[in-house]
Amino acid sequence: MALLKYESQVRPPLVVGDKDYHQVTEDICRPVEARPSTLWWIGFIISVLMLLFGVVSVTREVWFGTGQWNLNKTVGWGWDITNFVWWVGIGHAGTLISAILLLFRQGWRTGVNRAAEAMTIFAVMCAGQFPIFHMGRVWNAFFTLPYPNTRGPLWVNFNSPLLWDVFAISTYFTVSLLFWYAGLLPDLATLRDRAKEKWRKMFYGITAFGWTGSTKHWQRHEALSLVLAGLATPLVLSVHTIVSFDFATSVIPGWHTTIFPPYFVAGAIFSGFAMVQTLLLVTRKVLNLQQYITIEHIEVMNKVIVLTGSIVGIAYLTELFMAWYSGVKYEWFAFEQNRVNLSSPYGWSYYIMMGCNVLSPQIFWFRKMRRNLYVTFFMSILVNIGMWFERFVIIVTSLYRDYLPSSWSTYYSPTIWEVGFYIGTFGLFFTCYFLFAKFFPVIAAAEIKHILKKSGDNYKEQMTVVEEESVDQFVHDTAH
Amino acid sequence: MSDKKYWQSFAELNNKEEVQKLAQNEFAEDLPFEDLDDKGLFDSKTPRRDFLKYLGFSTAAATLAASCETPVRKAMPYVNRPENVTPGIARYFASTYVQDGDVVPVVVKVRDGRPIKIEGNELYPFTKGGTSARAQASVLDLYDMYRLPHPKRKSGNKFQEIPTFDQLDTQINNALAGLGGAPVVLLTSTVVSPTTKQVISEFLAKYPGSRHVQYDAISYSGLIQANGGKIPAYQFDRAKVIVSLGADFLGTWLSPVEFARQYAVGRKIDEKNVSMSKHYQFESYLSMTGSCADERFTHRPSELGQVALALLGAVGGQAPAVNFADANLRAGIQKVANDLKAHNGAALVVCGSNDPNVQAVVTAINSAIGATIDPAVSLNNRQGIDADMVNLVNQMNAGQVGALFIYGANPVYDYFDADKFKTGLSKVRLSISFNEKLDETTELCQYSVPTHHYLESWGDAEPRTGYICFIQPTINPLFKTRPFQTSLLKWSGNNTDYETYFRNFWMGKVGGQAGFDKVLQDGVLAMSVASPATTTSTANTGGLPAAITAITGGRKGGKTEVILYQNVAMGTGRQGGNPWLLEVPDPVTRSSWDNYAMISTKKAEELGINYKDVDFEYYPDKPIIDITVGNKKVSLPALVIPGMQPDTIAVAVGYGRSENYSKATQGVGKNVYPLARWNGSSIEYANDVNVALAGDTYKVARVQVHNSYDGRTEVVKETSMASFMLHPDAYKEWREELHKDFAPATGDYRKEGTLYGDHVQPGPKWGMSIDMNLCIGCHACVVACHLENNVPVVGKSEVLRYHDMHWLRIDRYFVSDENNPDNLKAVVFQPMLCQHCDNAPCENVCPVAATMHNSEGVNQMAYNRCIGTRYCANNCPYKVRRFNWGDYTGASTHGVLGPSSGVGELDPVVHQMNDELTRMVLNPDVVTRSRGVMEKCSFCVQRTQAGKLQAKMENRPLGGDDVITACAQACPTNAITFSNVNDKTSTVSKIREQNPRRLFYVLEQIHTLPNVSYLAKIRNTQEVIQGEKEGAEHAQQQTHEPVPSEQAPASTEAGH
Repeated sequence: MALLKYESQVRPPLVVGDKDYHQVTEDICRPVEARPSTLWWIGFIISVLMLLFGVVSVTREVWFGTGQWNLNKTVGWGWDITNFVWWVGIGHAGTLISAILLLFRQGWRTGVNRAAEAMTIFAVMCAGQFPIFHMGRVWNAFFTLPYPNTRGPLWVNFNSPLLWDVFAISTYFTVSLLFWYAGLLPDLATLRDRAKEKWRKMFYGITAFGWTGSTKHWQRHEALSLVLAGLATPLVLSVHTIVSFDFATSVIPGWHTTIFPPYFVAGAIFSGFAMVQTLLLVTRKVLNLQQYITIEHIEVMNKVIVLTGSIVGIAYLTELFMAWYSGVKYEWFAFEQNRVNLSSPYGWSYYIMMGCNVLSPQIFWFRKMRRNLYVTFFMSILVNIGMWFERFVIIVTSLYRDYLPSSWSTYYSPTIWEVGFYIGTFGLFFTCYFLFAKFFPVIAAAEIKHILKKSGDNYKEQMTVVEEESVDQFVHDTAH
Repeated sequence: MSDKKYWQSFAELNNKEEVQKLAQNEFAEDLPFEDLDDKGLFDSKTPRRDFLKYLGFSTAAATLAASCETPVRKAMPYVNRPENVTPGIARYFASTYVQDGDVVPVVVKVRDGRPIKIEGNELYPFTKGGTSARAQASVLDLYDMYRLPHPKRKSGNKFQEIPTFDQLDTQINNALAGLGGAPVVLLTSTVVSPTTKQVISEFLAKYPGSRHVQYDAISYSGLIQANGGKIPAYQFDRAKVIVSLGADFLGTWLSPVEFARQYAVGRKIDEKNVSMSKHYQFESYLSMTGSCADERFTHRPSELGQVALALLGAVGGQAPAVNFADANLRAGIQKVANDLKAHNGAALVVCGSNDPNVQAVVTAINSAIGATIDPAVSLNNRQGIDADMVNLVNQMNAGQVGALFIYGANPVYDYFDADKFKTGLSKVRLSISFNEKLDETTELCQYSVPTHHYLESWGDAEPRTGYICFIQPTINPLFKTRPFQTSLLKWSGNNTDYETYFRNFWMGKVGGQAGFDKVLQDGVLAMSVASPATTTSTANTGGLPAAITAITGGRKGGKTEVILYQNVAMGTGRQGGNPWLLEVPDPVTRSSWDNYAMISTKKAEELGINYKDVDFEYYPDKPIIDITVGNKKVSLPALVIPGMQPDTIAVAVGYGRSENYSKATQGVGKNVYPLARWNGSSIEYANDVNVALAGDTYKVARVQVHNSYDGRTEVVKETSMASFMLHPDAYKEWREELHKDFAPATGDYRKEGTLYGDHVQPGPKWGMSIDMNLCIGCHACVVACHLENNVPVVGKSEVLRYHDMHWLRIDRYFVSDENNPDNLKAVVFQPMLCQHCDNAPCENVCPVAATMHNSEGVNQMAYNRCIGTRYCANNCPYKVRRFNWGDYTGASTHGVLGPSSGVGELDPVVHQMNDELTRMVLNPDVVTRSRGVMEKCSFCVQRTQAGKLQAKMENRPLGGDDVITACAQACPTNAITFSNVNDKTSTVSKIREQNPRRLFYVLEQIHTLPNVSYLAKIRNTQEVIQGEKEGAEHAQQQTHEPVPSEQAPASTEAGH
């Protein structure tokens, strides 16, 4: 990793608190090796309960049919696909941080990449639930896989964006998982070596894949990281592009928009970073890692948020302008009546979206705000609410009043089981995250040591002391 | 069982020993075990191998038996194959649907012994294959689990089965003998059957002093009395000007299928020589017929007589001057009168009033204008006289009726003074109901002797003098029921049953067995009748002065009036428990399952209903209003509808049935018959009422909530006759311009408008044409589609969630004056179904290719392949795809029809539709779809396939019009036509070729290339739509641009 390390003399240190290598290992391994705290238990149990509620909701939906949700003949997708796109979007930050920032040699990424990658994987897992369980006949979901079969063979429809989703998401998930796991190996080996209990030795022994820390291992490890980073980089851009094709390639006014791919990618990074903020602000506090995930990290990510938020804002305004400028009255109706018109049934959702995604992030132009933890936390929640509504606006307000006025209906409110499914994915996400935080180092210990300048500095500091000693003293000292 | 014996050879017949032995040992060949003999396994030569064989066989058998849990469905082969039944081959029998005097000759499709579909009988000259929603739905009544299964006698409060008809006959004969001369009264709905009439008169002759009273739930006695006891035979086809005074003649009035067929003749536009009949409607509420009118005028229900008088005066008759406060109405009457006078001899006035005085005035108008009425015949569709019924009820209350036989009538439910009838009924010594179901009246009778359903019966009908329609059974009686006529014959001492009686009656008239077979095959017979005594429409004008006096001195309406109407699906409520009819949305309000109060915008404001609120449009919760007449109060949800007379409230009859009547009707609707009033000579279906807001809301299940087409002329094209004449090529030019824009090089929009290649469709290519000028919104097609394609019924709770499953729907748009939504300019009915786009947006988005195009231009669904992503439905611009949100048909693997509580709990009606008996109605040619599967119109693929096979078997090329879809078949006006459009001589090809000026495709600009074409609606008005330069622009200016904010719905429509 040293190969990629970029050391800036003018920048402040990325890890504060005079850490040496041993201390880093201690700090990062401590939460893994210690008994879980009460707080952890509370959080974990709540998460599991949410997950169970989700399981009940989904079971009911599978057993009794999609009528368990309030979708209807006009609005065929609602919370299900909104949640899908939202979770996929969140799953963008991790890979962006680990892959693109790695290629761009952004040293600060090492403090947050592990947790962000984990978040990505869990978010994609959550996202995947929705397209699977939104199917009316989920037991036939394997029909979407192009495998040789005895029905002709009957192939999938390669024209369908929904099929592209299948490939995009599964590829993205696989690469992200490999990337994350490859990065984990040295740390797992550290934990194995420090382990005292038998199960720990076994568990980390198996998961560390026989990592010994030999130079050969490190060399291969870094080569693999580079290759995976290279693979993952286009995926960061492609996944949400393809998700946006679900809408962009259709004929429905409000969906049929060529601006969607870049706009979706920017939105995804936007919401992904917001989610990383939400999680890390809590994690660093609870696990006492403020010296590794510093205020500098927070600020850098806030900069990304204000940048992507503004891109998204421009995209919103562009599509609004184009809807008017195109002169297509159906398109303009979808914007003017279904969205901009505050008194239309879903007008409010457009303004929540605009407020949360475009206006509120502008606060991060101020350095003071970027470095304020409370503001950051509040904003990260707000952005994710806003991004949820962005997808809701796109999906629902386009569908509920499309071409034929006779079909205009309302998609009133989700049923308890529709909400339950969403809550369940939160349960899944946090259950995974809690288990991750308990059993795996949330900071990449091996990687962060690369950017630790302190060892050298300590040496230099000691050198200074030696040099400042007076000659007499030196003679005196050495004479004995 | 039968005592017949089936045998194959003389040896078998004589029961030879060897034959018996052979029969026992049918499969002589042994299993291929080697040398096993009788010695046991281990003594045989090769025990090891045989052991392995045994082992292999038993293991395989055990595996098979243990592992395959395919549910066992009971399917029994015929032991003796019935004559004329080939499994899988449909047979057709001519029959006739008769309901309360409404007669529709039909052809019944029978599959494997089960009638499953009703088609119109094209041989009957007055309906020519047209049907109504109720006729279509009647086949479901046959399989109604609520039908009475056997004769019963009431003991105490409960009915007890009478085991045999012999016992019943003995009991009834004893009871009749014990009446001691007290009269027997036969209370029936209108009897149009000549043989039944004869049976009745024979029965009456046996019991002197007895009489027959005919009673119609919605009475026409005013019409009958005003015309000397005979209903004039109206001829709408000959009329150039049609004026309806409150008669819903296309939907429910008298004989709507016949009238709709005639009406279509004048409404059809020939582009080479553009003309159409002019239809004026005077009414108090917005009826389906009024929706079709070119010009409408509203008046209060109590003013109907005055309107008729004014019209009579204006056409030159002797009538006192009437003055109306409403200038619009005043001008309208003058205008109509001028038009009538200008079309003397080619005009017709019909009136829906039940007041003989009003009808007398109308008769006078008709004679003044030389109305198009066939003097040679008369209609027999209704025969009930109100005064007879009122007398009967009085006599019953006075204890003067010994026995009351009730057949096809349900006065406890639909008589205006039902309480009086009930007390009267309790004083009748012997009361027998012959009704098929345990309706409100049957519940109170002492005996219930259920009669056959018409599909199980023999019978005849003479709806029009000289025209006989025959009824023949299509299935053995499902229950222990007996025809009413047989009972009467038995009780009058005649031991022949009705079948024999009927056969003898007609054999004598039509020339023996051969003639009888022929008429049964045709289903209809035109007999030469001696011209009846001249009962032309002028016959009764003698009483005109009295009628005028009665009208001028008649009731003056109060502040608010209620008018009772029938909606097209429910009618009087005789088929009120029919799930298909209940699920059919009303053509005007687009609501199903319930009845409700239709109110005007003014009334809504008066009551303080905020109908302009967006939520009012979007949410099903409607405010309940209390409608009070004297001490009778009905609370109904209010729907705000444009085009209503401001002070009139309209409520549909036929709803609010008793619990025992049907599972389907539980908890929906209210009975409003008690709001009708007796005016001294007839029952009036209007009354003065008080209304007040009840303060509560009630959910009304509507399938369409937005009422305006918002200037979307690519969706709907409609204009006035004057504008059309001024710019006849406006639509054509719009289309040409579109094609030029998207196909500048070749002008071939189809090929050049897309990046992709065009598919060749060399064989047949199915296409449909829908003439919006002819669509009257009657919903016969919608029900026909239900039957033909096993479209599930989802119940009110699911309709409320917009989960209705109709493959074919009739969209309705209001076109109103911008400032005054009550001033309705037009109502547009647009049948909307899968457009079978050749460039279908649904097809390329399905990830598993479950929906695809075939070479015949049909967009198909492979249900087995569908995984239910609903992407296709989202991407359908026409929103015609329907998803199985729940298990509506019981086709899913675990067979649970929804949860027992909570979200998605299905109404009892869905369970009813899935019981063993009701499922008999399913069309075996069409699979039922399971939960989680998308479905939609298939262009009746089972019919096109059958047509192709038929042509192949007959070794001939497929004709262009050989196949017809269920909807097109059912249509009484031929608004829907279906053909192979690759055949240039087919009907649809010709329609498209001959109507280039009105031809359009819905949303043509998005290049979906639909296979369903529409013809624009032309209103026959002289109004030139202002500022009209280009066709594409015109409707926008007429209905104006959608206005931002919630004011939009309020200004373009009546509020929701």
